Amino acid sequence: MTAPIEVSKGEVEAHPEDVLQGVSGKAIQGRSLGQIAWLRLKRDKAALGGAVVIVLLIVAAIFGPLFLQDPTVYNQGLIDPTYQRPKGGWLHSGISWDHPLGVEPTTGRDMLSRIVSGARISLLVAFLATLLSVLIGTVMGVLAGYFGGWADTLISRAMDVFLAFPLLLFAIALVGVVPGEVFGIKGNGLRVSVLIFVIGFFNWPYIGRIVRGQTLSLREREFVDASRSLGAGHGYVLFKELLPNLVAPIIVYATLLIPTNILFEAALSFLGVGVNPPTPSWGGMLTLAVPTYQNTPFFMIIPGLAIFITVLAFNLLGDGLRDALDPRAR
Amino acid sequence: MFAFIVRRLFGAVAMLVIVSMVTFGIFFLLPKLAGQTTDQLAASYAGKAPTQEAIADIKERLGLDDPIAVQYGRYVKGIVAGQEFSNGPSVMKCPAPCLGYSFRNSEPVLPTLVDRAPVTLSLAVGAAVIWLVAGVGIGIVSALKRGSVFDRLAMMTALAGVSLPIYFTGLVSLAVFAYGLKLWPDGVAYKPFLDNPVDWAYNLILPWVTLAFLYAALYARLTRAGMLETLNEDFIRTARAKGLPEKTVITKHALRASLTPILTVFGLDLGLLLGGAVLTEKTFGFAGLGALSIDSIASGDLPMVMGVVLLATIFIVLASLIVDILYAVVDPRVRLN
Amino acid sequence: MNKIKIGASLAAGAVLAAGLTACGGNSESGTSGSAAKADAANTAVVNPSDKKGGNLSFAMSSDWDSPDPGDTYYAFSWNFARYYSRALMTFNDAPGTDGLEVVPDLAESAGTPSDGGKTWTYKIRKGVKYDDGTEVTSKDVKYAVERSNFTSELQLGPKYFQQYLVDNPGGYKGPYKDKSKDGLKSIETPDDHTIVFHLNTPFSEFDYLAAMPQTAPVPRAKDTGVNYKKQMVSSGPYKVDSYVPGKEMKLSRNPNWAAGTDPLRKALPDTISVALNQNQDDIDNRLLSGAVHMDLAGAGLATAAQPKVLGNSAQKQHTDVATGSTLTYMAINTRTAPFDNAACRKAVQFAVDKVSVQTGLGGPVAGGAVASTILPPSVTGHEKFDLYPSAGNAGDQAKAKEQLAACGQPNGFSTTLTARADRPKEMAAAQAIQQGLAKVGIKVEIKSYPSGDYFTKYAGSPAFMKSNKVGLAMMKWGADWPSGFGFLQQVVDGRAIKPAGNTNLSETDIKAVNAMFDAATKETDTDERNAIYTQVDKAVMESADIVPLTYANQLLYRPANVTNVFVAAGWSGMYSYLNMGVK
Repeated sequence: MTAPIEVSKGEVEAHPEDVLQGVSGKAIQGRSLGQIAWLRLKRDKAALGGAVVIVLLIVAAIFGPLFLQDPTVYNQGLIDPTYQRPKGGWLHSGISWDHPLGVEPTTGRDMLSRIVSGARISLLVAFLATLLSVLIGTVMGVLAGYFGGWADTLISRAMDVFLAFPLLLFAIALVGVVPGEVFGIKGNGLRVSVLIFVIGFFNWPYIGRIVRGQTLSLREREFVDASRSLGAGHGYVLFKELLPNLVAPIIVYATLLIPTNILFEAALSFLGVGVNPPTPSWGGMLTLAVPTYQNTPFFMIIPGLAIFITVLAFNLLGDGLRDALDPRAR
Repeated sequence: MFAFIVRRLFGAVAMLVIVSMVTFGIFFLLPKLAGQTTDQLAASYAGKAPTQEAIADIKERLGLDDPIAVQYGRYVKGIVAGQEFSNGPSVMKCPAPCLGYSFRNSEPVLPTLVDRAPVTLSLAVGAAVIWLVAGVGIGIVSALKRGSVFDRLAMMTALAGVSLPIYFTGLVSLAVFAYGLKLWPDGVAYKPFLDNPVDWAYNLILPWVTLAFLYAALYARLTRAGMLETLNEDFIRTARAKGLPEKTVITKHALRASLTPILTVFGLDLGLLLGGAVLTEKTFGFAGLGALSIDSIASGDLPMVMGVVLLATIFIVLASLIVDILYAVVDPRVRLN
Repeated sequence: MNKIKIGASLAAGAVLAAGLTACGGNSESGTSGSAAKADAANTAVVNPSDKKGGNLSFAMSSDWDSPDPGDTYYAFSWNFARYYSRALMTFNDAPGTDGLEVVPDLAESAGTPSDGGKTWTYKIRKGVKYDDGTEVTSKDVKYAVERSNFTSELQLGPKYFQQYLVDNPGGYKGPYKDKSKDGLKSIETPDDHTIVFHLNTPFSEFDYLAAMPQTAPVPRAKDTGVNYKKQMVSSGPYKVDSYVPGKEMKLSRNPNWAAGTDPLRKALPDTISVALNQNQDDIDNRLLSGAVHMDLAGAGLATAAQPKVLGNSAQKQHTDVATGSTLTYMAINTRTAPFDNAACRKAVQFAVDKVSVQTGLGGPVAGGAVASTILPPSVTGHEKFDLYPSAGNAGDQAKAKEQLAACGQPNGFSTTLTARADRPKEMAAAQAIQQGLAKVGIKVEIKSYPSGDYFTKYAGSPAFMKSNKVGLAMMKWGADWPSGFGFLQQVVDGRAIKPAGNTNLSETDIKAVNAMFDAATKETDTDERNAIYTQVDKAVMESADIVPLTYANQLLYRPANVTNVFVAAGWSGMYSYLNMGVK
């Protein structure tokens, strides 16, 4: 899978000197890092565009299903029984005022409401899995980087092992053998939990490596030495000195991990180990489209575009954030 | 150098052992946690209408009731010393390295893997060549002509590329090029290289491009970023200052420095390519290792799953080993670590 | 359902005149010659020919379970195995209902019953030779039955012989463990051309068992167990030159096959090739262009190709809508609460919207007609009735609610429905059922599993059904042979319930029904037997254990360059491969 580590080579997109000079050439004022970052981000139209799309998607995913049709209801009156495809609309899509994105072949389920409901699953899984990766990755990375020695060796080796696993195969196998009920969770709740766990748990080494690297370099900085020589304990150094300085890179790579996880969830659904039907998911919709796309291409294009647009939006925002926040760009 | 390689080889083998143990453990323990009895496991190897006696017999022959350590030991022994299986009237030898015997389709694992490998290798190698050439090439040009129309267009395409799911690109390209423009009116199918190399390549064009597109996009972004960073480094400034021609600065200094990280990533990606191959093979209906792994997982064919996972891990470990060695050749400081 | 599907294709509304090789003239592929109309092969042989030569090419999207005649359980495989093996009996190679009859193949004539139907004697033909030139003897037939039914190595085929033959005292362990000269004592071979089967119960339909490829001779010296599939000895007109699992099979003429010993086979092509693990859409496209002659699986065109063919009159004339004797249904597990109460089962019978389900399964053409009985129309014993009628088959919610009230669940309840994840049509049908049941308050959770393990680990494991409280299970079933017994016994006889690989998914165990099966095995009169099968059907429907959904169809395609094509009733509505040739 694509890993955010691969885009870690930051580049200087915005020039700090320009920012410090100010747009209208006002007197230079002292600004916090956050302010500088925000100023940079504001000027990055693509990143802002991505952010707007993401906000819209989240709003739609949360509130959309309240206003749309039930995504599981069959409308077989709209389906041509011989050809198994929607009766009308451009490219046999079944697009009409009632169904602005058309209907699904065979069942006649409304595509718009399926896409919106699918967004719920995609975003939920991607966010929570990312959160899990970030939590594990940060803890492990900080421990390895800060304490060094055998802790570092152990954690680094563990990361190597995780990276050596054929992740996709494992995810499929794991999702496939989960029993019907675990800790009282069952049905789709369980499926979603398992997806989150699998995706999140196996992706932590990517964040872990980055955090470890950052911690290693921060550890040697003067301000850490200073507070240690003043008698600060490990806890103080970790939480008051290191973590605040790790927030920026973590936010950047979390943002870049989300689209990876969206793609991962969609791939798992595409391979048939996603949420249970009739709950819609984007990957699952693409799987359903495989046998019929030659006749009803629209049915494949809609979920594909949904994935594309969402992932693109996150990538744009992530790139923008990185340019604005990455310490190396200072 | 020799000591370095030995050390790395040792690490690689250790990695393989750990991965195989974890895989074995997961596939052995998870079904148990899911409440599956060894009877059911044996039944799934026993055809569609298994009798009780047959289930008991299979359980005994496969040693399914043995503790996990014993079963794993038997597996490792098979790899080292070979194994023997009863095929009914006689005994069948599975010479070392014996990866076991798939009772799903009454075939030893290794020959099946060897049989499926050409499909996946064809796919992977072709795509890797395309994405390396295209991705790195575009990245370099983009970096050198930073801000140009080419750069902007290339980076926009690259961003789109990393945001597209492989299976979606694959399906769209099939719909447009194969069926729409009738370039492959019967669809694409894997044709063995030895039967007809032209047919082989022609049928692989779409899968290659589909798979390479994602990675080329990634590499273009990476290369461009790496080049830009390198061009800002002091040693480039020094090189320019001492009056070297720009061409020499770029090719002798900047390229070499910025391409080494690409090498690392390439090693990782090449190893992980099986993951991408799963999706590509599924999209194009190719019967390669990716498809085999999905089928084996779906049918609970543990020996086959183990085989594929081990093979995939070997790919990954080998790729990173080669990269490490190349790195050591390029950059002597590495060996000191 | 991956069981053998056998049955007639009394094609819906496809009544065609006899001489259907009327000159169609310009077939779209440009090949000159005759063209038949759509559905022609349902009732007559299309492109009849005696022209020899050429290569007949098959393709399939998967692989065999095993091509070993003693170790396979797919209709296509049994159909195809006749190229390289000769069972005692086989299905009459003729279109229409004639194809339901079994006729002698390796045997000289049908079996002679004695001892009230407990002993069956066959005489085998003289002069039948393997491809190595040695002669086929009755001992090889005995050995073939022993290896296929009594060893744990060859597990893939059915075990009817084991079920019906008298066991040795102490239990026969199969020829791989028991190397004694007698082997299974209940199969006698008094001479090289006579074989006698002693059954533990009268069994009037034994000839159907003799038609299974398990009776095709295998010489003991040539048996290599599970590896035999790669080194098969041929008793038919073709020998297997190579079988590479997952890849291909190649056949060429068996020089020692003598047409004089084989009145059934024409043996037209010089060679036969099978390409395995091909992309299904790719196969369909090559079928349409004539580059491949037959889809070996015989399951018809996939969804992608259907509109291309049905919407194009030149292509449509090459298609046959074949009704296999296969039923798509939903089993209601009678041991899972609240379905242990018949009223709750009846509520489901009324609530299911069968039209929705039919659309999910592929619509009236590619899917099949809505079903109301367990026996499909082409299986003997079928009688049309509908105990749970509703307007337009769309479900009767009022009646369903009445039954729910009678069951003590007026507000509905929750249950689980299992289906096979890799079968999109089955999943669509399951969701249509879910919709219908939701309207009367029955909440259904669909759980999907890989089809490879569906019967061994999930729906076919009563322990699984019990521990997961599964009330409903999707199912598709075809008969092992086209009689009421062959269809019903494995799915509704209480004694057929197995701890794994169970196909009686409803776990129906009704004493009266079990007794009817016993009566049928003793009944020698065919009409009387068929009347019993009708009674079984009615009794089970009365008990509401099974919700019949559709009598399944398949949309078959026959390229213009293939000769002697017809839909074979005995092979569940796929084309008969026995006498195919190429133009």
